[in-house]
Amino acid sequence: MRYLIPIKQVPETNAVKMDEATGTMIREGVEAIINPLDLYALELGLRLRERTGGEVVVLTMGPPKAMEALREAVAMGADSAVLLSDKGFAGSDTWATSLALAAAIRKLGAYDLVICGERATDGDTGQVGPGIAAWLDLPLISYVAGVTGLTPRAIQARRLVEEGYEELEMDLPGLITVVKEAADPRLPTLRGKQRAKGLAIPVWGCDDLGLTQAQRGLAASPTRVVKIFRPKITRQVHLVRAPDAAAAAAAAAELAAWLRQRNVLPAPGGRKEAGHGA
Amino acid sequence: MTHAKTDAPKPPAPPVPPPTAIARDQAGCGSYRPLTPAILDALRAIVGPAHVIAGDPEKLEAYSHDEVAEREYAHMPDCAVRPGSAAEIAAILKLANRERVPVTPRGAGSGLSGGAVPVCGGIVLLSDRLNKVLEFDRDNLTITVEPGLVTNEINPLVREAGLFFAGYPMSLESCYVGGNVAENAGGGKAVKYGVTGRYVTGLEVVTPTGEIVTLGGKLSKDVTGYNLIQLMVGSEGTLGIFTKVTLKLMPLPKASVDLLVLFPSPETAIAAVPRIIAGGGVIPTAVEFMDRTSFTASCEYLNETLDYRQAGAMLLITVDGTSAREVEAAYEAVGEQCLKAGAIEVFVADNHTTSERVWKIRRNVAEAFKVRSPRQSLEDIVVPIAAIPAMVGGLLEIARRWDIEIPCYGHAGDGNLHATPVMNPAWTEGEWHDKLPRILEDIFRLTASLGGTLTGEHGIGHKRLPWMGLFCSPAHLAMMRAIKVALDPNLILNPGKVVPPGPAGFPVE
Repeated sequence: MRYLIPIKQVPETNAVKMDEATGTMIREGVEAIINPLDLYALELGLRLRERTGGEVVVLTMGPPKAMEALREAVAMGADSAVLLSDKGFAGSDTWATSLALAAAIRKLGAYDLVICGERATDGDTGQVGPGIAAWLDLPLISYVAGVTGLTPRAIQARRLVEEGYEELEMDLPGLITVVKEAADPRLPTLRGKQRAKGLAIPVWGCDDLGLTQAQRGLAASPTRVVKIFRPKITRQVHLVRAPDAAAAAAAAAELAAWLRQRNVLPAPGGRKEAGHGA
Repeated sequence: MTHAKTDAPKPPAPPVPPPTAIARDQAGCGSYRPLTPAILDALRAIVGPAHVIAGDPEKLEAYSHDEVAEREYAHMPDCAVRPGSAAEIAAILKLANRERVPVTPRGAGSGLSGGAVPVCGGIVLLSDRLNKVLEFDRDNLTITVEPGLVTNEINPLVREAGLFFAGYPMSLESCYVGGNVAENAGGGKAVKYGVTGRYVTGLEVVTPTGEIVTLGGKLSKDVTGYNLIQLMVGSEGTLGIFTKVTLKLMPLPKASVDLLVLFPSPETAIAAVPRIIAGGGVIPTAVEFMDRTSFTASCEYLNETLDYRQAGAMLLITVDGTSAREVEAAYEAVGEQCLKAGAIEVFVADNHTTSERVWKIRRNVAEAFKVRSPRQSLEDIVVPIAAIPAMVGGLLEIARRWDIEIPCYGHAGDGNLHATPVMNPAWTEGEWHDKLPRILEDIFRLTASLGGTLTGEHGIGHKRLPWMGLFCSPAHLAMMRAIKVALDPNLILNPGKVVPPGPAGFPVE
């Protein structure tokens, strides 16, 4: 089977800095890594390939530097990779990005399953995976915590939802986005690194993908960043004093009432559950 | 195996007193005079009343121990003082000599051998007020600092000049420069960069009798007389108190990559170490070793899912250099040598996230065992590198004999192993305290038989004082005693540490 895995290169988690004047992320001179959540997608793809045989292809859209992320993925075990890099892609939002990735996937030919990370740690929208599915008119299961069955025609997956899990079956080809539980990523190996260094990775631009001017980059991006700012964290202190032991009970009651008002404590009698579960 | 088989445990051995009791006995604590109110007043006059802590057991408790966890290694001081200059320290030592009161210097208290514990009580001398950077000399590539500076603060200061201080211990977030010098601290980068002593070119020292002496300076070469700087380095606060330290700085590496290498056995892992250096032509920054007991516990503790089922030992190897390209060539050479030596797999961590992931395994070994058992004794033996497999095999045998676990991990590139007996959780505390000295003796006898030594970077303190005789001949110990007495005739500085008394106590002129 053929697994396609779109990934993103993001700033190292401990190195994220914002330019407050322009509202964009400072990416220059910052160590970059594969989006940690994409590693679960990659690992799942590698494990499925180990089961079914076939091929894992990683692709990413980004500046030339994003080639590093692809080589890292190859070092972990991906078979081949494609970089989408072109000045025309600059300023792409999730709409334009998913459009470009969808075009690249079409160009890559037949495939069985597209696996995306849940979201990227920098943009944090979680829209690109479902966006690709929409552009390609593919069925989608998001928040996949594990694949429970796989045949050439269908996939069964456990989907993480607020109350637990859903067991779903979906026709293939299709797209899934995965959460952390899906698979613990492996580390790249020396042999993998050496293979990655020697592998020719094609670079595709807007014209290779047949994207019109209106379909690329900023022009194709409806998102407008109006303002970016650091949220102000305010703390309001509500001090309840109990000057002596006799006053303690009244003070405790006052504090409890104050906390109830703010829904920090359940209202008396209106308790839904007895404390926090195991 | 080349080492002599150690004796089977002798059944009815006499109870062994705890190390603090041994140290107190050997230091002859009873011969010191008590700290009187008049002496306290004199101390207040020297450092100012605000900087003398006395009569407050809660505050003084903090100065009764270091990072050696067991309470029986602790001892309360009578007072703690916080001098603000070399002149004040000199005055305190003159007073202490006059009044025959012991003085124990203390850095950050992150030591692992009890070096800062005032086993005879008396005065603890705190260095936290002496925490300034005195001079960063870009032309001579040195930095001169006071002893109470947190070691971790040096690198941010010199980084923009493209430099770093390479003598870096593992406790770098808390420890002080003075403590590093006093213990000659090592750490994870010693294979390439050596230990603290390599970088100390100058010291200002207050002698035990209260003289202020300057040794060395910013010089790379200096054979003008005996090498007293290196005598002071590692002297554990028994020969002098540092008030200024001049350190040599190195060019800051621009790139670094970690390799986590899985081997089928300790033998194959250790055989790879000389191959890496000779065959690969690379001196790694770090070569850390973990035996199966260690990495299994740590990986389980961390929920690390890496496939280590086939592995009998791991090496964690760091290479650094001035460019990504240079480091890439170096790690490939190292990795190839490991594979030739029989490695099962070589994992490559070249970014912060993956590097953290592999180092976590090494750093959490001790923590993982704390979860399994409340008591362990972190040891610090050193053996010739080629003897590591014999040591690991011997430790397994000792562990089996005593029915405990002894994880063995540490700095393989230096032969420095943190073999750590962990109490069998089924034992009582009493059993542990009774058996531990005998377990340690087995370990240390094996270490000695392999040409090894007692401690590589944690020091003797009073924790390891009882075993000095296993590693140093009577003549060797006599030399150390002669040095101690020559510099500290009243045995004022840090009694009960490093050097045990001879048959006739300490020689008197």
